[in-house]
Amino acid sequence: MEFELQLTKRFSIPNCHTLEVALNHGAYRSFEKLFSMKPEAIVNEVIASKLRGRGGAAFPTGLKWSFVPKDTALPVYLCVNADESEPGTFVDRYILEYDPHLLIEGIVCAAYAIKSHDVYVYIRGEYVRPYMIFKKALDEAYRSGFAGHNIKNSGYDVHIWIHRGAGAYICGEETALLESIEGKKGQPRIKPPFPAVEGLFGCPTIINNVKTISHIPWIIEHGGEAFARIGTSESTGTMLFGISGHVNNPGFWELPFGMRVPEFLEKYAQGVKGGSLKALFPGGTSTAVMTADECADLYLSYESMRAHGTMLGSGGLIVMNEHADMLHALRTITRFYAEESCGQCTPCREGTFWIHRLLEKMVRGEGTTKELDLLLEIADNMEGKTICALAAACAIPVRSCVVKFRQDFEKYVKPVFVPVAAAAEKMLGDDAVPF
Amino acid sequence: MQKMITVNINNQEYEVQEDCNIVEACDAHNIPLQRFCYHRYLPVDGSCRTCMVEIETPQGMMVTTACTTKVKPGMAIYTNSEKAVAAQKSALEFLLLDHPLDCPICDKAGECLLQDNYFDFGRYDFRRTVARYFKGGKALNAGEHIVLDQERCILCRRCIRFFDEIVRTPELGIISRGHESSISLFPEKFIRNPYSGNSADICPVGALTLKEFRFKQRVWFLKKTKSICTQCARGCSIYIEHNKNTVWRFMPRENPALNRVWMCDRGRFSFNKLHEKRIFTPLKHQEEISFNQLYDDIAELLKTRRSGEIAWVVGPFSSNETYYALKTYCGDNAVCLMPPASGERDDLLMLAEEYPNAQGATFFGLQTETAPLIDKIQKGRIAALIIVEMDLFNLRNDSFAQCLMENIHKIPLKIYLTAYRDETVARVDYVVPVRTYAETNGTFINATSLLQKACQALVPEHPDIDAACIALYTIATGARKHQRRYSDASEMYDKLRSHYDELRSFQFNQIPEYGIALNMPKRADEPFKGIHVDFNVCSTAKPLEES
Repeated sequence: MEFELQLTKRFSIPNCHTLEVALNHGAYRSFEKLFSMKPEAIVNEVIASKLRGRGGAAFPTGLKWSFVPKDTALPVYLCVNADESEPGTFVDRYILEYDPHLLIEGIVCAAYAIKSHDVYVYIRGEYVRPYMIFKKALDEAYRSGFAGHNIKNSGYDVHIWIHRGAGAYICGEETALLESIEGKKGQPRIKPPFPAVEGLFGCPTIINNVKTISHIPWIIEHGGEAFARIGTSESTGTMLFGISGHVNNPGFWELPFGMRVPEFLEKYAQGVKGGSLKALFPGGTSTAVMTADECADLYLSYESMRAHGTMLGSGGLIVMNEHADMLHALRTITRFYAEESCGQCTPCREGTFWIHRLLEKMVRGEGTTKELDLLLEIADNMEGKTICALAAACAIPVRSCVVKFRQDFEKYVKPVFVPVAAAAEKMLGDDAVPF
Repeated sequence: MQKMITVNINNQEYEVQEDCNIVEACDAHNIPLQRFCYHRYLPVDGSCRTCMVEIETPQGMMVTTACTTKVKPGMAIYTNSEKAVAAQKSALEFLLLDHPLDCPICDKAGECLLQDNYFDFGRYDFRRTVARYFKGGKALNAGEHIVLDQERCILCRRCIRFFDEIVRTPELGIISRGHESSISLFPEKFIRNPYSGNSADICPVGALTLKEFRFKQRVWFLKKTKSICTQCARGCSIYIEHNKNTVWRFMPRENPALNRVWMCDRGRFSFNKLHEKRIFTPLKHQEEISFNQLYDDIAELLKTRRSGEIAWVVGPFSSNETYYALKTYCGDNAVCLMPPASGERDDLLMLAEEYPNAQGATFFGLQTETAPLIDKIQKGRIAALIIVEMDLFNLRNDSFAQCLMENIHKIPLKIYLTAYRDETVARVDYVVPVRTYAETNGTFINATSLLQKACQALVPEHPDIDAACIALYTIATGARKHQRRYSDASEMYDKLRSHYDELRSFQFNQIPEYGIALNMPKRADEPFKGIHVDFNVCSTAKPLEES
């Protein structure tokens, strides 16, 4: 399969995070064409490219950009979401580390397209190394006129500010990210109004993932049509797929959409380690788990994933072999969501923790079959009832794991009914609370 | 007039106001819908997720929160569809999951939204089979009046929004995240703002309670009487909540144009004053006498004086009925003193004038010029002075009080109508005990020229204690009890209303709950000056405390 690398083309070049090396290998080449085009033309190119947001929701990028009110008197902001915290997702950091100038180039292109002069790059707090490298690259870009005031004599200014997170998963949700940049507690806002109309500091704001932004220079250079020819009809272009878990060669690869998952596993991840494939989370833990049978005709594309009732998410595949215990896996996953729920909406705040406590109980061997069904019901009561998608992100793996791997759970639970008070007493000893 | 649109709620057409949200639309038509974080006078938050309804959208049926969804013409809304009810029930289940359920010792029990909503909308089987998560933080001292119980808190953030948006003192916030979230103060800091008591009112559960009310009364024993606050010229609408003839608390009463549902702490915690330093028996030279003897003595003494020799002094603390009685029965020598405005004031509710009815004195055309009377006193032409409900000898920096102190020996007879044993009691010849404003019906006119009624909440200690207006009438006319034209102050009101066009059509018990706006110059700005909080009061909505 022949295709041109768009995001990782300079990854193998040593020291490509420095401006000098990056320039020698074609960085910032798109600027010449960029500033000769009108912003609207660029938005149209991106619409033509059918580029979809790589952050997880896969919303068409060009369409999102076109939502910015025309001729608004307010400043327009661009926020770059580098708060990559989804379990199993780890590719944004390599763009920041290996080719930060690609991101800066993309930022300038995107800012120009949406007529924004101020860009915030929200980098996950734990990403210290990527932050240092990106900061250094940004300083270099400023010094050489690739960012900041009057970029390359185009008369266009793009100021880029780095904002570091403080370790909250929820700040990767676009409106929580805005709250966090504004200095508030990272809690999602109610939509509508959508950020494209009323976002950062009440102004129109576009929030894009690092990977999405990094595709823009290529689209400008080669045109949206060329981009749309790569991949499948609905999933155009290439994407960075990361794979982790029980595989022989974990890592990430840039591939056009449309590869069959078993092929990807064999060819790139070099097969499942320690046994045969049991389960696969296609796009981080927030997506519905796939059994080995389902994986057989699963393709790396948005439409194939949707047809199988799951999502490609951020493209972070997690593989589990036949010896993996789904109850323990799910307990770990729900611990993450219980810990990371922002606490704003009741169903998420209480539901994630309730599910986690039930799973903890099952791991101890004190669960009942009734509680297994309760898990499904709690998941139903959480999903779609909250401001943001975190509750759904917890409910989906719970539901899919319990339904598809019920035998794993039934090993732990007793069909008999354990009286509530007795169970509590067992857990707490003398401190037991009367219910 | 707001534009009305038609929406379809539970397969029935309703007219609702344009750009109100679904909760408000339901409230306007008494369609039951639970809510915690939504409050009519606070910005919408949408975090409790209990007011779930199902609506028809172009993308199909959708379960969403009613408080964050604006109505659109022709919108189909279901509050009782299967999905909506499931979502409502599950949200309540989540809220109650780790709730301490200490209702028997919780002061909110009886007026707790969690109780009420669970009773109406809850699922009645308890499904938590794991150990309860203890949130900790019980009975924390959160300020001068407030006790915080983090364990009971359901994190609806009403209190936070109230302090942030209305009082603008962001003193409360949520610390930690997820299930560890809890309402908290900054370290070493307390709630110190003059409206803190409201946070306990709007708290839907017993997380914020008042020190002044904790463990005093169960709310279901309290009787509510519509009244007003008399601590400043704003005259906020309140309920006097009382049981066994004792006032246990003042609660703000909804009045959209006046105080919305707020009141200041100065007014709220003044309820104790109604029972302090009361005087129940008539005094003659500081010795107790009977009511019969009192009225006989006074009638005898006043009979020999010409009306020009009798002076009547009232303050801005009395009711309209008292002013009317003064004006009608007591002749020309009646003056109303206006003590200087000395209280705290702000842009919300509090006014510097710490008295309730200065506008009433103006409305009834009472003399406020004291110079002629001072002159008469100095020349010894006043033979009797009758002081009405005003602690005259406690006034500082007032020229009339000054003159009175200096020339007190020149007035042979001094009579004092009062409900309280204050400084003036010791300096007069006769003390006539009267009722407090909580013990009688009455009307007051506030600084924005709104006439409101204060209804009788308590029964006076002694049946012969009269309202000030009736005592005045008795003294002025010399009428014996069986000869009186009035047995209750409301009858005085019904007499006076016939003289004023604006009042003529309202009998006492017909005075609207929100008062009658009178056409006269205002003494103060509108309340909530400069506070623009997005709220939308449907004119047809039922009062808050019933919803």
